[in-house]
Amino acid sequence: MEVAKRADRKVSADTGAESSPRGPVCSLRHFACEQNLLSRPDGSASFLQGDTSVLAGVYGPAEVKVSKEIFNKATLEVILRPKIGLPGVAEKSRERLTRNTCEAVVLGALHPRTSITVVLQVVSDAGSLLACCLNAACMALVDAGVPMRALFCGVSCALDADGNLVLDPTTKQEKEARAVLTFALDSVEQKLLMSTTKGLYSDAELQQCLAAAQAASQHIFRFYRESLQRRYSKS
Amino acid sequence: MRPHVPPVPADTLLAVVKSWRTVEPLEYYRRFLKENCRPDGRELGEFRTTTVNIGSISTADGSALVKQGNTTVICGIKAEFAAPPLDAPDRGYVVPNVDLPPLCSSRFRTGPPGEEAQVTSQFIADVLENSQIIKKEDLCISPGKLAWVLYCDLICLDYDGNILDACTFALLAALKNVQLPEVTINEETALAEVNLKKKSYLNVRANPVATSFAVFDDTLLIVDPTGEEEHLSTGTLTIVMDEEGKLCCLHKPGGSGLTGAKLQDCMSRAVSRHKEVSRLLDEVIQSVTHK
Amino acid sequence: MKETPLSNCERRFLLRAIEEKKRLDGRQTYDYRNIRISFGTDYGCCIVELGKTRVLGQVSCELVSPKLNRATEGILFFNLELSQMAAPAFEPGRQSDLLVKLNRLLERCLRNSKCIDTESLCVVAGEKVWQIRVDLHLLNHDGNIIDAASIAAIVALCHFRRPDVSVQGEEVTLYTPEERDPVPLSIHHMPICISFAFFQQGTYLLVDPNEREERVMDGLLVIAMNKHREICTIQSSGGIMLLKDQVLRCSKIAGVKVAEITELIQKALENDQKVRKEGGKFGFAESIANQRITAFKMEKASVDTSNIEEKAEEIIAEAEPPPEVVSKPVLWTPGTAQIGDGIENSWGGLEDSEKEEEEGGIDEAVILDDTKMDTGGVSDTGNQALGLMILISFGYFLKGAPIVLSDSEEEEMIILEPDKTPKKIRAQTTSAKEKAPSRSQVKRRRKKRTAN
Repeated sequence: MEVAKRADRKVSADTGAESSPRGPVCSLRHFACEQNLLSRPDGSASFLQGDTSVLAGVYGPAEVKVSKEIFNKATLEVILRPKIGLPGVAEKSRERLTRNTCEAVVLGALHPRTSITVVLQVVSDAGSLLACCLNAACMALVDAGVPMRALFCGVSCALDADGNLVLDPTTKQEKEARAVLTFALDSVEQKLLMSTTKGLYSDAELQQCLAAAQAASQHIFRFYRESLQRRYSKS
Repeated sequence: MRPHVPPVPADTLLAVVKSWRTVEPLEYYRRFLKENCRPDGRELGEFRTTTVNIGSISTADGSALVKQGNTTVICGIKAEFAAPPLDAPDRGYVVPNVDLPPLCSSRFRTGPPGEEAQVTSQFIADVLENSQIIKKEDLCISPGKLAWVLYCDLICLDYDGNILDACTFALLAALKNVQLPEVTINEETALAEVNLKKKSYLNVRANPVATSFAVFDDTLLIVDPTGEEEHLSTGTLTIVMDEEGKLCCLHKPGGSGLTGAKLQDCMSRAVSRHKEVSRLLDEVIQSVTHK
Repeated sequence: MKETPLSNCERRFLLRAIEEKKRLDGRQTYDYRNIRISFGTDYGCCIVELGKTRVLGQVSCELVSPKLNRATEGILFFNLELSQMAAPAFEPGRQSDLLVKLNRLLERCLRNSKCIDTESLCVVAGEKVWQIRVDLHLLNHDGNIIDAASIAAIVALCHFRRPDVSVQGEEVTLYTPEERDPVPLSIHHMPICISFAFFQQGTYLLVDPNEREERVMDGLLVIAMNKHREICTIQSSGGIMLLKDQVLRCSKIAGVKVAEITELIQKALENDQKVRKEGGKFGFAESIANQRITAFKMEKASVDTSNIEEKAEEIIAEAEPPPEVVSKPVLWTPGTAQIGDGIENSWGGLEDSEKEEEEGGIDEAVILDDTKMDTGGVSDTGNQALGLMILISFGYFLKGAPIVLSDSEEEEMIILEPDKTPKKIRAQTTSAKEKAPSRSQVKRRRKKRTAN
């Protein structure tokens, strides 16, 4: 029954109007990424998921302020800039989530007493913003050549009132959803690096979302790989 | 023949161990964790002693003090009048704020709230929003004209790790302690009249309880980390659950990766912690109302 | 991070090149860098690239109450941010001199020139007006921020559409974009800043200096002008003296440049509008050049989620069921209760004075025994483990230390010590354990007394 329902939806998604170029069930929006588009930062990337777009710039490993210096590893800093107005508490919280995720994969011990700064600029928000921030940060870190033990990606899942699962939700879907879960997964074992959630859900639903996010992460990592292959195709 | 070395006296031994802890804290911890216990004598899945006192502040409309080991958080709730928001005239406000003053740890400085305080405030706001502890509609007195604002101020008095659990518990206990006076709107003067004699408890619709874990060396999970353990760990995880076993928050701010199976283990621990805490809370509230 | 200083030889090289009428990027003296304008999917969002300098502009609006002295005018607000992304020397959250100067110049160029009809932004006089906020973010700094920012600001304002409102009596109704088409702002003219850099006390002049050139220049002249050749603002900075002829020559050049740029802006706006009307694809995704090898796109991908339910069930089934709760809360006084058989906090021992201990110890001996039985069992084993652990750890520690003990000594120690240390520790902690309950007992008793 459940499977049949899904199949129906998929069909309706494929014939959907051009204005919403994506079905309501289990597909990722179109992805686009451009690396090395800024001249000043050591690494930069612009990541687009549907109409959501984030620009990331990475400086480092570079000189660090004495007050922030850590003797045995690099100091990682993440700055998230909203498009309208000044950064608030929500941005601080996201900065911290992104920073801790980066810290888990960046091999900071190779560059002690330096700073690695990731600056994220929201260019447009059309849902799954934190996931897009994470993806942009990862691509920018790769572009800057910062050593990492694994790549990471962000995936958002939304659960609507009937318990249907939607991957990579748009703003509208996020608003209608009963719960929205955002995960960061690593590329080696698809382990959960970061998670933050909104709304109420059961443990079974959590496990389903995680499994779906792990499946989606395979697509994202393939996108990363193909985009880097293209980039380094000419030497 | 080996030279004879006299046995080391106990005081010296302790002093050496102490200095070892200072020099190589991580190695020191690993030795303990290998034996499934922690330097403070707890098992890996054991919480510190949790003490709760409600109605601690007489000037507040509701208050609670929670002590979890050394970590101490006090929550005071003050109710005030305000005009409801323009886009939702039938709602009141709940404004949580977490303060980490320099008093509670040498890590914090005076001045505007630091990152930790802001992130904790955001977490508490998320828990309030997600779990729907208080329906904002319950706080409305007269639609479009008057509503309650609940200022929930959480102040940490002693910071020794696991601030999120202590804050969530203090907030829940304090909300259950809030008594609001009856307010009627006088139709002639259109002014609010407060009847201080008739007070009623807030309708607390959910009982979210937080359970925090720390990950050691990417594999080992320990419950209720102290400040030192938090510092040495490679990641933390906080699960907030309500009485039906529904999750309101799965907060994992980066750090070591975890598999789905590990998460599920954490959730079982969160379920039993919820039972413990709600029993404790029920007991305390009963002891006050019966008097 | 500090700005890397420019070396003397680099400085000399740049100045020599300028003297020889050559620029590092191959431009002529009066050449402007290429301008590229792209629009986002939202109204009022654009990115302007001036060579490698890049500015993101976003306009937003809000209904607010007007200023007291201008009851019928809407409010315009400009905010340029120098993000750390643009250059490592920019610090977040700091109002540097450069930032203040740029913001002030932008305000003069766009607000004081009255290019936007602020009276049309009034909804109810004295009560509700639109506040238009222009946020500009510098994304990459390669010189001439002000020109790029002023272009981004005016483009974003031209592109912006605000929600339609209607007023009936006192009621103000806001329409969503689905109900009524949003309306554009009324813009009288388009002022654009043009920068001129002067070198060697004004002997040499360059249009649109890049970052390197800005660092060796002596003075800067900024002229804001619209396509009708009306000067909106003019600012000379850097402390050089300019002759009247120089200023006039600059204004002539500015006139030509502004005409070119205005034409470009109009073309870009028309193009975007056409695409939107025809229902084609728009937004930043379309502005990424496909042929670049640094760019990559993936069409929407469907994810196979058929087996997630089984996977989830499997994990849940394998997990251990939640353990049964054993601990029972202990009620000290009405309003205070405790749970958990883990360690005590370190407060109890510190706070107690000797007197209280004595009092409590004698009077409440019976109750004390009970509580000890409750908590004693577990903590005792914990303490024992603690003592042992210390010993084991100590053994390891010594092995690594320069003093090498023989095996026999170590064995001896392990046999010897458990009698000594654990006892000591246990004695300490149990006394702490006794103190905590006794204190609260005392309190309770005192309360009773006062009640009596």
